Parts: sequence; C-alpha cells; structure tokens
Amino acid sequence: MATSILFMHILNGLAYGMLLFMIAAGLSIIFGLMNIVNLAHGAFYLGGVYIAYSLVQQNLGFWLAMIASIVLVAGLGVLMERFLLERVYGKELEQVLLTFGLSFIFADLVKWIWGTSPLALPVPSSLDVSLDMGGTMFPAYRLFVILVGCLLAVLLWYMENKTRIGAIIRAGVDDRQMLSALGINIKVVFTSIFAVGAALAGLSGVLGGPIMGMYVGIDSEILVSSLVIVVVGGLGTWKGAFIGAILVGLVDTLGRVWFPSLTMAMVFVIMIIVLLIKPNGLFGRGAHA
Amino acid sequence: MVGKKRLGKSRIWISTLLTLVLLVLGACSNQTASSGEGEPIKIGAILSFSGNFAPLSESIKAGMELYFEQNGNKIGNRPVTVKYEDDEANPQVALRKYRQLVDSEKVDLLVGPISSSVVYALRDVIEKDKIVLIVANAAANDISWDKKSDYIYRVSISNWQDGTPGAAYIANNIGKKAYVLAPDYPAGHETIEAFKAAFVAAGGEIVKEAWPKLGNNDYATYLTDIQQTKPDLVFPFLAGTDAIRFVQQYEQFGLKGKIPLTGTQEFLDPLVTDPAGQAAEGIIGATMYTAALDNATNKAFVEAFTKKYGKTPNYFNVQGYDSAQVIAKAVEKAGSVKSEDLTKVLKDIAFSSPRGELAMDPMTHNLTLDMYLAKNVWKDGKIVQEIMGDAMKGLKIPETPPAKSK
Repeated sequence: MATSILFMHILNGLAYGMLLFMIAAGLSIIFGLMNIVNLAHGAFYLGGVYIAYSLVQQNLGFWLAMIASIVLVAGLGVLMERFLLERVYGKELEQVLLTFGLSFIFADLVKWIWGTSPLALPVPSSLDVSLDMGGTMFPAYRLFVILVGCLLAVLLWYMENKTRIGAIIRAGVDDRQMLSALGINIKVVFTSIFAVGAALAGLSGVLGGPIMGMYVGIDSEILVSSLVIVVVGGLGTWKGAFIGAILVGLVDTLGRVWFPSLTMAMVFVIMIIVLLIKPNGLFGRGAHA
Repeated sequence: MVGKKRLGKSRIWISTLLTLVLLVLGACSNQTASSGEGEPIKIGAILSFSGNFAPLSESIKAGMELYFEQNGNKIGNRPVTVKYEDDEANPQVALRKYRQLVDSEKVDLLVGPISSSVVYALRDVIEKDKIVLIVANAAANDISWDKKSDYIYRVSISNWQDGTPGAAYIANNIGKKAYVLAPDYPAGHETIEAFKAAFVAAGGEIVKEAWPKLGNNDYATYLTDIQQTKPDLVFPFLAGTDAIRFVQQYEQFGLKGKIPLTGTQEFLDPLVTDPAGQAAEGIIGATMYTAALDNATNKAFVEAFTKKYGKTPNYFNVQGYDSAQVIAKAVEKAGSVKSEDLTKVLKDIAFSSPRGELAMDPMTHNLTLDMYLAKNVWKDGKIVQEIMGDAMKGLKIPETPPAKSK
C-alpha cells in the first residue's frame, strides 16, 4: 500500500476517533465522577444533530446552528440531571432503568418531531472542499474535525490538570464524600459536569452529522463504541477518553481495510487485551467501591 | 399496611375500569359489524417502523393509505381496515406479530415485510396457515425460487431485477472496469451477483468488491480505496441513510465528476436524492419507477400523492399503492377473501401501476417489470430523475437460480 493512501486511512481513523472522543469524554467523566452510566448519552448526540438540522433549515447557517444546538443540548442535560437523575444517585439499578428508558423516549421524540424520512446535515460551505494530498483527495471538513478534537483535548487536559475545577473533578473521582466534606457544593459540580458532557456529545452530533449521518438508532451504535472507549481508556479522565477514542477509531478504520469481516471483533479484542493487562483501563484512576 | 390496602383498592379500581373499557369496545365493534355494509375486510400489515427501515415502511404505508382513501376505504361494498404492526426487522418479533394478527385479529390477508429475513421466517408459517401475503418490499430472490409459496406474491422487485438491468448500458457506455460495493448481507450479495453476471456478459470486469457491514457509518475507508483502485466507474447497492452518506461523501472525497457513479434504483429515488442534494447529480442507473414516467395512471398518482402529502412520491410509495391495489383487484375478481380463491386470481393478476401496465409472472409469483434508464439532474435547486430510455422491457426474474459467475 502506498504511504499516501495509508496516511489517508489514518486521517480517516483520526476523524472518526475525534467524534468518538467528544462523546466518550463526557460519558467517562460523568461515569467516573457521578458514578452514573448514562445510557441516554447517545440521545445528546442525536439531539445535537437534529436540532442543528432544523436550525440550518431556518437558514441560520452551520456555525450559529452548531452553537445554538450545543447550548440547547446542554440545557437538556441540566434538566435531565436536576429533575430525574438526582433522584437515583447511588441506586445503580434504578439508574440503568431510568437512563435506558430515557434513551427510548428521546429516540421516539426525535421520530415524532422529525419523522423517519432520512435527512442529511450538509457540510458547512466554507469547508466543503477537498484537498489534494499527494494525488489523493481528502475532505477539508474532516481535517477540521481532527483539529477541533485535538484543541478540545488540550483544553480539557488543561482544565483537568491546571485549574481548580479540574482539581475538584479529580478529587471527586477519587473520593466524593471527602470532597463534599471539604465544603464543595457537589450538587453544582455534578450539574455543571453533566451539562458539559451533554454539550460535548451535542457537539459531536453536529460535527458528526455530515460524516456519520443522522437517523434514530445511531445513538445506540455510538454509545456502544463510547462505552468500549471508556473501558479501554479508564474511568473519569479526559486523557483516557482521548487515547481510547484514537485507538478505537484507528482500529475500526484500518480494520476495515485489512480485515473487513473482523472489524467489530478487533475493537473488542483490543478491549479484552487492555482489560487483561490493566483492569482499570489505560489511564484509570482505580476502581470504585 | 396502609400502602397495601391502598394498592388493593387501586387494583380493584383498575380492573373495574378495564372491564368497562372492554365492554364499551365490545359494544362498539358489535355496532360496526351490524351496520349492514357487509363484513369488513381486515388486512394485517407487517412492516418495520423502528430502526433503519422506518422510512421505507412509512412510505409504503402512505402509498397504501392513498389508494384506500381514493376508493372510499372499501373493496366492493365491504369496508377495509388495515392493522399496521412493527416487526423491528426481527424475524422473531415478526412471528409474534404474525400470530397476533392471524389468531387474535383474524385478518383476512397480509401485506409486508421490508426485510428478507422476515419474509423467510414468515414463509413457513404462511404455508401452514394458508394465508395470503402480498410482499410489499422484501426482495430476496429465493422467495421466487426455492422458497416460492402458493400464498406469497411479490408486487415490489427482486434483488435480481434490481442488479441486472443497468449493467449492459453501463458496460457499453460508461466503462468496463467496475468497483462494486454493497452491504455484507444477503440482499447486498444477491444484487451485486446479478449485476456482476450481466456486467461481465456485456464485456465488463469487476476490479474490486467491497463489503461494508450493514448500517456502516462512514464510507471514508472505501472512498480512499476507490481513489487508489482507480476504476472506470463505481456501482454501489445501498439503501436509506447509507446511500445518502455514500453519495455525499463520494463528493467530499473529490470523486464526483472524476469517476462516474452509477447504482441501483435506490440511488435514483427521492428518498435518497432529496436529502443527498446536489451530490447526487449525474448518477446513472436503471429503475422501475420515477415520478417522471409518462403514463396516465402515474400522472393521476403523482397528482393525488403530491396533493395529499406535499412531496414527490418515491418508489416505496408506489409499492404500497400497488400492494393495496392488487389486494383490491384480487378480492373483487375472486369475489371472496378465501385464500384458495385469491391465489387463483393472484397468479397472473394484471393491473395499472404508476410503473406502467404490470402483470404477475405465474412461474415466479414476481412481477414482470419494465426497467428504465434514468439520470439524476439538478434542476431548480433540486435533484430530479430524468428518463434516458428503456433499460430492459418485460424483465422477469429467471425461473431458477442462474449459475454463479466467478
């Protein structure tokens, strides 16, 4: 295989990985900090892309639609955390039932509002060009997605390690009781983290719309990949989500090139290997009681 | 204690309510039955309203509803009721819904399904229960071959008829080296197999086959591979959102206008081309239906459809419309809804479809179809299908499976 083609495949894998990263990051930190497996996390992806679609239809333009959609999805996250999840903190079974049920409700809501006809979110016109990279063409939009993903990773890393909020989150992942005993308003922290996680998934939805498409059902597909990433990368760390997402993105893409029929299996094989060597994931902070 | 007591009370309250509802419902249904219009004809529709096939199912339902509405929701002097069920594209669920429709609802005949695996699952119980099924979409070839049943008649299209008709034109006019791509499931393999046989017979060569999984999210890998393979043309078979993404990403990877894109009729249908937009411009292929077909039935159909739903009909709408039409024609002609009477007339039933004058092939229980060459053109800010000529007239699925090409 020519190196330029291999390079192209790697870029494809990275773009896919970045989209997964944005979802998995939120999922992982919510999981790690709040001890909630949010099975409705895919709904934020769905909400992001569908709301953006409607706003683009209103001639709002891709970028404004993106921002508005992220804000709305974050708002949805706040409502969900305040009025529903708050009631089930510490009750794992109830959480699973609640979030699983919510994912169905959101999926049906989307069907009810937008119908089932296939829709498509167009690539923003400013990025709707393909670049000639050594004889092969590559869409500029995907490079943009990679760029956004990397910037986000740096930003989140900075937040986690260099700011007070990051310190609170790290402390919270390690020991929640102690954190609230120190006088931190854990409620506010939970709600804001949940909103940020929702917003990231929404962003992934908007950016992923032109690449992965929009249809009811993608929410659960993407949730499975994100859960794998959380397991591989480890709970409650942006870094784990980032490395895990890149790994899954690359394995998935290159797997399709070399072992088309084993793609899905390969992703899980990676997961098993990681679990065997490091049961807490690559960057996990240790198991919770 | 108090809680328990209350629970007991509310349970009694609920069962009282339920009994009441049942009584009222019973009274109502008695009323309709005794209103003297003739026994209602009950049709059970098993489609996939959740999951990726939802848009196809909704389209078929819209087509059926249009036909029955145009005919006063009656066949002869008997009112028609259609009960729609969601099989989730899952054979096990479909069998459950089938039992419900046949045993409890006592439907007279069935319409459906979308998925080929469902049609195979239903086929055996249908043989046993001897109930007529009008296939509104499932394209599995074998339903016309080894799995043929006296009670199953297809008014949609078979995979063989979807893959075959465009091949000769493509080989003679577009290029000899084709890159084919289809989802890795039976319909994908059947359609590509048919295309391959016809394409090779016309002097073409398949340079590469790609089999992404069904519901593949991103086609980047394959589009990069196409750039590397440099075929004369690409022939994909994909449906719904998969097809839309493929077409859009084909443009994003700079392939549009560089390597001609052809395809099955899915790529020449508003269900895909409307959301895909300008990216779908220039795709050439063979199709059994476009809204532009010039015949009286189609003109009336397009007008009525556009009036009711405010959009251009797609070919799934036509499949639904024709399913309803075939049921009505068959019941009228047979003068009964008994399976043994219906099967006699269904074997060679002829009707005016928006697709043209069509007839059932008694050997395969599958329609003889006229296939048209069509091209997507960009006109007034919208993709429309333009008919370039006939691809194949009177195309029947062979009576037995053709020998596999290498």
